[in-house]
Amino acid sequence: MKKYSVINTHVHNVDGIAKVTGRAIYTFDVKLPGMLYGKILRSPHPHAKILDIDYGKALDLPGVIGVVTGKDTLGVKQGIWRRYQDLCDEQILPVDKVRYIGEPVAAVAAMTEEIAEQALDLIDVQYEVLPAVYEPLDAIKKEAPEIHEGFERNINVTRHIEWGDVEGAFDEAEYIREDWFKCGGQAHMCMETRAAVSSYTPDGKLTVYHSSQSPYYMRGLLAGVLGLKESSIRVISHYVGGGFGGKFELDGAIFCSAVLSMKLCRPVKIVFTREEDFIATKRRTPMSYYVRTGVKKDGTFCAREAKVFTNGGAYTGMGATALYLTGFFHSFPYRWKGYRYDGYRVYTNTLPSTSMRGFGAPQAMWCSEQQIEWIAADLGLDSIEMRRKNAHYSGYEVPDQASIASCGIDQCFDVVQKWIKEKGKLPENRAIGLSAAGFMSGGIFNWFDSPYSFSSAVVTINYDGTVELHVGAQDIGQGSNTTLAIICAEALGVKIEDIKVHSGDTDHCPADLGAWGSRQTLMAGNAVKMAAEDAKKQLLEVAYAQSGFNIVYDLDIKNRWVHALARPERGYDYAELVKKAIRGKDGQRIVGRGYYTPHRKGMISPAYSYMMQAVEVEIDKDTGKIKLIDSLTAHDCGQPINHLGLIGQLEGAFSMAAGYGYLEYMPYEDGKLMNPNLVDYKVMRATEMPEVPVAEIDTYEPEGPYGAKEAGEGLTNPTAAAIGNAIFHALGVQMKECPIKPEMIVNALNEKEAKEKEGKE
Amino acid sequence: MIHDFRYLKPGTLQEALSMLAEWRDECKIICGGQSLLIVMRQGLVVTDTLVDIKGLNELSYITYDDGEGLRMGATTTHRAVEKSGLLKEKYPILVAVEKKLASIQVRNWGSIAGNLAHGDSSGDLAPVLIALGGKIKLGSVKGTRVVPLEEFYTGLFETALTKDEMVVEVQVPPVQPRTAVAYKKFNLIESDQGIVGVAAAMTVDASDTCKDVRIVLGNSGVTPIRARSAEKVLLGRKSGDRLLEEAGEAAAGEADPVSDIHASEEYRRHLIRVLTERMVRQAWEKAIPLE
Amino acid sequence: MEKQRLKLKVNGQEHELYINPKTLLVEVIRDHLGLTGTKRGCDTVSCGACTVMIDDMAVKSCAVLAVQAEGRHVRTAEGLEKNGKLAPIQKAFLDQGSYQCGFCTPGMLMSCEALLEENPAPSPEEIREGIEGNICRCTGYNSIVRAMGAVAKGNYREE
Repeated sequence: MKKYSVINTHVHNVDGIAKVTGRAIYTFDVKLPGMLYGKILRSPHPHAKILDIDYGKALDLPGVIGVVTGKDTLGVKQGIWRRYQDLCDEQILPVDKVRYIGEPVAAVAAMTEEIAEQALDLIDVQYEVLPAVYEPLDAIKKEAPEIHEGFERNINVTRHIEWGDVEGAFDEAEYIREDWFKCGGQAHMCMETRAAVSSYTPDGKLTVYHSSQSPYYMRGLLAGVLGLKESSIRVISHYVGGGFGGKFELDGAIFCSAVLSMKLCRPVKIVFTREEDFIATKRRTPMSYYVRTGVKKDGTFCAREAKVFTNGGAYTGMGATALYLTGFFHSFPYRWKGYRYDGYRVYTNTLPSTSMRGFGAPQAMWCSEQQIEWIAADLGLDSIEMRRKNAHYSGYEVPDQASIASCGIDQCFDVVQKWIKEKGKLPENRAIGLSAAGFMSGGIFNWFDSPYSFSSAVVTINYDGTVELHVGAQDIGQGSNTTLAIICAEALGVKIEDIKVHSGDTDHCPADLGAWGSRQTLMAGNAVKMAAEDAKKQLLEVAYAQSGFNIVYDLDIKNRWVHALARPERGYDYAELVKKAIRGKDGQRIVGRGYYTPHRKGMISPAYSYMMQAVEVEIDKDTGKIKLIDSLTAHDCGQPINHLGLIGQLEGAFSMAAGYGYLEYMPYEDGKLMNPNLVDYKVMRATEMPEVPVAEIDTYEPEGPYGAKEAGEGLTNPTAAAIGNAIFHALGVQMKECPIKPEMIVNALNEKEAKEKEGKE
Repeated sequence: MIHDFRYLKPGTLQEALSMLAEWRDECKIICGGQSLLIVMRQGLVVTDTLVDIKGLNELSYITYDDGEGLRMGATTTHRAVEKSGLLKEKYPILVAVEKKLASIQVRNWGSIAGNLAHGDSSGDLAPVLIALGGKIKLGSVKGTRVVPLEEFYTGLFETALTKDEMVVEVQVPPVQPRTAVAYKKFNLIESDQGIVGVAAAMTVDASDTCKDVRIVLGNSGVTPIRARSAEKVLLGRKSGDRLLEEAGEAAAGEADPVSDIHASEEYRRHLIRVLTERMVRQAWEKAIPLE
Repeated sequence: MEKQRLKLKVNGQEHELYINPKTLLVEVIRDHLGLTGTKRGCDTVSCGACTVMIDDMAVKSCAVLAVQAEGRHVRTAEGLEKNGKLAPIQKAFLDQGSYQCGFCTPGMLMSCEALLEENPAPSPEEIREGIEGNICRCTGYNSIVRAMGAVAKGNYREE
């Protein structure tokens, strides 16, 4: 791997001091003069017409300043898939009917939170309860109630991916296996619940503090629903307490606080309780998968066919993207002669489902990587070698879908094989489970219909050589401020301490699609690199003019040292050059601009990361209890940029992915979430986490800045399947449903025993 | 939101008891509040008067003598129990159970009496104390009375406390020689409340035969359950795999577990069977002194 | 509701407040004293984001009535630094990248500090048990354990 001055060195996170001293102000902490506190009244019914809302008594309560309902809004049906109007189906404060338990129906602003909460009890809503439906396979029946007008059989979105001669490929296969799987939902469970402070002022301007993954999207969406110009809206997200895919759509907090503020011309703060965060913010998409795979006896993959029904819940959200990506990544990281995926996203009267870290791929791998392991076992083949035989490689073209420029999966297999060999024989109650995966580095499909470059950056060099870096990329904890500062410092040739990052404010930062789909390191990174190189070019023009060198000599700046590449010891301080350059521009600071939008890279992603994960699991046969003992992940993210950030992202992804595998069940009964609190919804804690060492594979991605690709989301994909595969190897049972509960393992073992007994008789 | 209340802070136990006598069913006692504040915030408990006994240091003590056994004051924190050198020596099971109870923060502020008086059948302390033959001393202006802990629980979150009574002390008899106690709760995450829990206290005689045994099931019914049928299976017998299986099956039959989102009734019974076997086996092995 | 006078010592500073006795310690810290470092992340005493120290103990300030902290010393994350000089655990967090979104961090730091003050050289297992009451959704905890381990080893011994 190439050695850089700043890239991939041990750099402190640039927001560190604020975060470790308690100084960082999150939306949760924001207090404005004259601020009111808002609370939301929510529907107790999964499906009902709103006949009347009488809030007179609430208004009479001392301390209540105002109440809003759908009637106070423009009634705009909005959605993040702006390009496709029929998928913009959510009013947030609905006018006519509610479609899930917990949907906002009214919002109150009062002098204190307590008064606002008391006021909710004084609002009288008349509903006409309608029949409701909760499972996709029930919702598509002819007699099922219609949830959205115009969507026959409640089918919200369909997706079809196909290449090759699928039937022919199946005919070629010597062994065919089909399985049905069920993938649960999952809650983002950000430590900072949804929060917004909206302040509308008499000059017609709206300022919103929002815990958000994309201030730019929020501004655009708010403009659409409030009837304001985008430039009249300012969205500020300085520090965000986690996002994980749940915070780049309009939520009840930002919408209701904005509507209240516009009506009352006062700042209004809405912070969701943890319970509200569970029941009224969109979740990972639950899916039912049918997978049929055909291979040759020697393990060569021939054909795969998948049919998937996803539980879309009451609104589309980002569900259309998740529907596509699950089908696409279900083929990863392998070559298929024939591949067919049919996905159906179905409306139901439950919590809407949307994107969550992994974006449909964790579900896809849960099914694919387990079935592949079972096929290898059925055929008596080494499952790693079988994977290797069929894996992607650099230069591979996924037919009509994607070009794989860099791919290190083969080296990943080597690393994992070595690790398993070194482990040797495991104690009887332990086993190792494997899973491979691949993931996107940002999406290409512009469903938001943004007219702007996907990422932009501005580099401004001050007289003293320090740098103001303005980006629209949003730091939500993944460390993008630091990653981009690193790229800027490397590209410009200065030190990380010289860079001051400005982000999270639509008034001062360029547009950027935001933190989702693992796009920022590659896309915003490219924009920053371009901007820094632009600024450097302007500096070097002055340096060339001064130097009088023969034209064959190239100049560069590295570690604040301006020098000729051929004579690095002869040079001078970058700060001197900056002073001259600014003087030369009549006192104007040096400004470099950069931007990036993927072109000619297909319609999915400009680059793909790859990984192979092995998890050692200990299982108590009698109780079904799982304990994670150890793991190894071989990971290809191209050139790592932010060393500390990368490790943190990988370890964090593991904890979330493992949770999806065996902890985070979200049971619903008649549309009601049964565990909307942190006692009954189980998340990973320090005592449960094993060591999560990562072996970085050395590859170079031409499309990425310095060869970088995504990290941190891809690694949410393999772990659930790896845990399932460990259980398969330890106990010989095939777990079809995730998250896995101990009871399910005990039942599976009992079933297996019963079958074996039957077989003997 | 917590309902407004009149806040009273007694300086002595007598003052506290007088307040209870005065306010009776209109007041609630708070010590650490680690259980109470949650239910007050949810509006499940509403009170006009709150009597705060957290400051009653006279009730914070852990004492032991070979005759009377162990006495722990009501406001003794979980953490004090966990860190007690005396308990590590005389009742190590209590230290072990506390180490896995909730979290350090909760143990630092919450009291053992508060935990017991809350009456949550998924609690860890009650089954273990019952297995140890524990008693609870209740006080009022009328005087005190001592109740065996297994009789203290009368229903779901219901105890034998009358409206003017409060817990003043927890008592545990001295441990008989050749006795050991084992406890395990089943959960997905360490220190989470147990889906079920089983405590087993085994006393053996000189020939390692079961002389006395107490098996207590936690979160297996509306109150902690003494698994007497399981105990009967073991009394007077020598340890053996088949015997332990029988005891486990008996305990599973005596339990009255619910089905909820965490586990079905059948699976809970299955766990009770497995854990009973394991805890009895563990306690039996530990009870036999090393030669 | 008649307000009650409360004298509270927070981060070495005495404060006099008048509060409704049902006010939680976390509310006094955040809303009355404006120290917003300490956060709230749940309503069931589960997440630990509100962890502060009362005397030498880590406690969840959402489960403590403010009036009960009278006469004791309350310490929050803002009180870890001395005249702008970071505490060893804070320096270790920076070096190890033991935070990402940072929302759980103030509470996590207080759990860590309490543990170190009681046991200056905890084992990895003791460290994990020590922060078990604090949920972190971002880091997966291992970087926090590494930071604590570095402090335990003496890497940040003050001169």
